[in-house]
Amino acid sequence: MFAFIGRNKKVFLALTLVVFLFWLVTTQVESGRFRFLERPVLALSGFFERITSGAYASLESVWDRYVFLVGTHRENLRLRDDLDRVHLENQLLQEVLQENERLRQIIAFRKEAFPSSIGVRIMGRQVSPASTTITISKGSDNGVRMDMPVIVAEGVVGRVQTTLGGSSRVMLLTDPGHALAVRVQRNREDGLLEGRISHCALKYVSYYVDIQEGDLLVTSGLDGIYPKGLPVATVVKVTKHEASPFQTVVARPVVRISQIEEALVLTQ
Amino acid sequence: MKPPVYLALFILILPLQSSLLGPLAIAGISPDLVLIAVYVIGLLTGPREAAVAGIALGFLQDIHSAGFIGLMALTHGAAGFSAGLLGRNVLNIASPSNILFLGAFSLGEALLVTLFLQMIYGSVPFFGMLFARMLPAAVYTGLFGTLVLQLMKSRKTLELLTRPSVQKEF
Repeated sequence: MFAFIGRNKKVFLALTLVVFLFWLVTTQVESGRFRFLERPVLALSGFFERITSGAYASLESVWDRYVFLVGTHRENLRLRDDLDRVHLENQLLQEVLQENERLRQIIAFRKEAFPSSIGVRIMGRQVSPASTTITISKGSDNGVRMDMPVIVAEGVVGRVQTTLGGSSRVMLLTDPGHALAVRVQRNREDGLLEGRISHCALKYVSYYVDIQEGDLLVTSGLDGIYPKGLPVATVVKVTKHEASPFQTVVARPVVRISQIEEALVLTQ
Repeated sequence: MKPPVYLALFILILPLQSSLLGPLAIAGISPDLVLIAVYVIGLLTGPREAAVAGIALGFLQDIHSAGFIGLMALTHGAAGFSAGLLGRNVLNIASPSNILFLGAFSLGEALLVTLFLQMIYGSVPFFGMLFARMLPAAVYTGLFGTLVLQLMKSRKTLELLTRPSVQKEF
């Protein structure tokens, strides 16, 4: 036996390595993701990302402001800001109307929907078939803490996963490790929305619940992380299986994450 | 590869991937620079070195992301080993077929990860992911990787990157 292993030790070494990696991955399924070396890697990459994204932003700024039409650019920025504000107000108004119907207090809702926040810049987007994260320009020195929600005017982006002094990593809504409590805006049915890289999956929706393509999912606030009423995703596909007590619901985030450049971290 | 090349690769590849390639993203899809690096190492060095480099770069990518530690190490290690075998027996750095193999590696890796996600979490919208993400990413990685390989194919560049023991094989 040992002679056989000795003759084929390279093959056994490779097999041992593969088995070890497989064990490492499957262990985390139950115990949660290991967090070793996370901070040094984020510190190093954050340092270089700051340099490279800063250099790129400077070049882009020179082009946009001085080479490309100055007035048009400024007006475009102003109009985009106006549009974002109107969009958010519109979403929140719909929520407030529904709250009124159930005799909830508007003031309490507004307090919850407008907590204090920190403006951040997106420094980098990680590319991996197994995960979706971004790096933001503020960290623990600026009051950013783990699990704080990150949003833009259109809705939810994700939550802070790791923080350092001057930068943080945000786990996006579409990351498989991300889950949040949502509610169907139309009929107030609750569910758990999990990331699936390019889409999201709404889990544990009973076979008998009325859910339709086009339904807007908003945060329910039940997870204790996200404030209530923020737009999250739109249902794009609903499948019912006779053998399963649950429906398979696929949703697409309302925020086009690849296009955002700034975001807000909600600190309360 | 020379040790300083590996050092530079390990320090710079993730910041390059996440910040500089961001503006090159089309509809949110960027080429997988880490996979391209592993593939290049495979072609230039051989299966053993590429597998080890793939595992190490995969670990780095895992730590830098929010995914399970070891998943990308496993897939990149396998990609490096396969690229090393291809480089030893079939392909060279200037071959136009690299576009197909790189694309296939990218797609294969994404399929493995998707299968894993389906096993762990369930409810993975397979066809949505295939057409919205996996296939475009594979095509983009294949095209971008081939461009990188074309830029690297001069003898001087290869001598700069690789150890003398490896250069004998060119």
